[in-house]
Amino acid sequence: MYLTKEEERIYDGEHGWAYQVSMKILVRLGDLFGATKLIPIKSAHISGVSYKTLGDAPIDFLDTLASAGAKAQVPSTLNPSSFDTDHLAKNFPQEYRAQQLSIIDLYKKMDVRPVFTCTPYYIRKPQVDSHLAWAESSASVYANSVLGSWTNREGGPSALAAALIGKTPNYGVHQPENRRADVLVKFEVSPRNQMEFGALGVHVGKLVKDKIPVFEGLSNYTNDELKQLGAGLASSGMSTMFHYKEPYAEKKVETVSVEAKDIENTIESLSTTREAPDLIFVGCPHCSLSEVRNVAHALKGKKVREDAKLWVCTSRYVKGKAEKYIKIIEEAGGHVLCDTCAVVTWINKLGIDVMMTSSAKTAYYAPTLNKVNVSLASLVQCVNTACG
Amino acid sequence: MKVKTLKGRSIVPGHCRGKALVSMKPISFLGGVDSDSGLIVEVDHDLKGKGVKDTILCFPHGHGSTVGSYVIYSLVKRGLGPKAIINQTADPVVVVGAIIAEIPMVDQIDIQQIRTGDDVEVDCSKGIVKVARRKQK
Repeated sequence: MYLTKEEERIYDGEHGWAYQVSMKILVRLGDLFGATKLIPIKSAHISGVSYKTLGDAPIDFLDTLASAGAKAQVPSTLNPSSFDTDHLAKNFPQEYRAQQLSIIDLYKKMDVRPVFTCTPYYIRKPQVDSHLAWAESSASVYANSVLGSWTNREGGPSALAAALIGKTPNYGVHQPENRRADVLVKFEVSPRNQMEFGALGVHVGKLVKDKIPVFEGLSNYTNDELKQLGAGLASSGMSTMFHYKEPYAEKKVETVSVEAKDIENTIESLSTTREAPDLIFVGCPHCSLSEVRNVAHALKGKKVREDAKLWVCTSRYVKGKAEKYIKIIEEAGGHVLCDTCAVVTWINKLGIDVMMTSSAKTAYYAPTLNKVNVSLASLVQCVNTACG
Repeated sequence: MKVKTLKGRSIVPGHCRGKALVSMKPISFLGGVDSDSGLIVEVDHDLKGKGVKDTILCFPHGHGSTVGSYVIYSLVKRGLGPKAIINQTADPVVVVGAIIAEIPMVDQIDIQQIRTGDDVEVDCSKGIVKVARRKQK
């Protein structure tokens, strides 16, 4: 890999240990995956925040980096944390809260913005063709596929290293030739709602693994539905992006067909129970303003059952813009949570054993990560069940 | 004593000797290795219950969360880390972990040639692994 004189100086440790170790991470990964040089990035998005998911693991390293004076060189945001300070925090032991806050403080010390969301693109939309280093698989797939920016699916440590250097190695989808589709996905019937788009994503992710699919014949899709498609795709597979706009120029690619029953079967297999849920969760990935509005509209004039909770998770930024919808949701007995979600908090400690969700990604992960039973249902079904 | 020489690719330079701990299964460091004890705790893993401390740890590659790199760092910082890592195919989680924890690492080695308990000398700068096995009685 070619390095400029300045990059070599960083590599040799002239700017201190923290930048040196960050540079080593980028250069070594670049060498392994065929990068030719480092390229500047416009922003970084870093995973590895929730104390529930990580435990004490990252604290040692983050502490050493932060104490060595490392600072982010580009605007950098964080994935969700294990609680919303306005909600939930008081339900968890003091030690958990303290450890979570110390992880957050270490990132803050490195000039990473204390913005905790898996949808950083609602806060600052990256420009078309800009290069990024984003962890959080659903966000990187959305950035590449829907927003037209360029990022590999970074891991927590590599995104942090890229933030501290302000650059990333130019392998993978930073190269135009690696952004072409190599599987054509045809389907019988278009998915009908966001939940079905997510289920389609999970189904196709299993089939295509790390290849880039092109979805032929998607009609009437919204960006919220494409977000669910990408989140599902990234959960079960390693694709970095997908294509969906017709007509698609590349003809000579392998084809897979998806039938209506494949989506039905996926929904069925992602649902581990038919029991009544303790928690109905909407907002994985975090809700856009239009999704918060949709929940509010569906809830109008209804009341959430006494024996269930309804959570709508979003970023603090979107919550700030959604006041009138939040009022409707809260009047109906629902809760709007920021900075966190049902997967990265300790829902077991809140007495939740069964969860219903409109997110295929959550249904994919929650049985293992949260040890709960899950049923996957459309937003309308979720709201109807919550208000049963 | 028979000595075999294997040639791979240098990932993190360094030179050391130690006893091999070999698994044919990928290791997930986040959730799979306990950073307080250095023991492998991954369910259904062939090394479950074994400690990685001071071993030449040989496995095909890592899997699971990218934050696993931080677990590797914590292990070393607590004196529980392996002396060196030998992989079949390096993946980003283990590579980043070895870089930040400064563990010598080599990949593209046929780990089936190594058995748990073998005396191993690794020259990770050159990508050379020497495996010595005592004759079985």
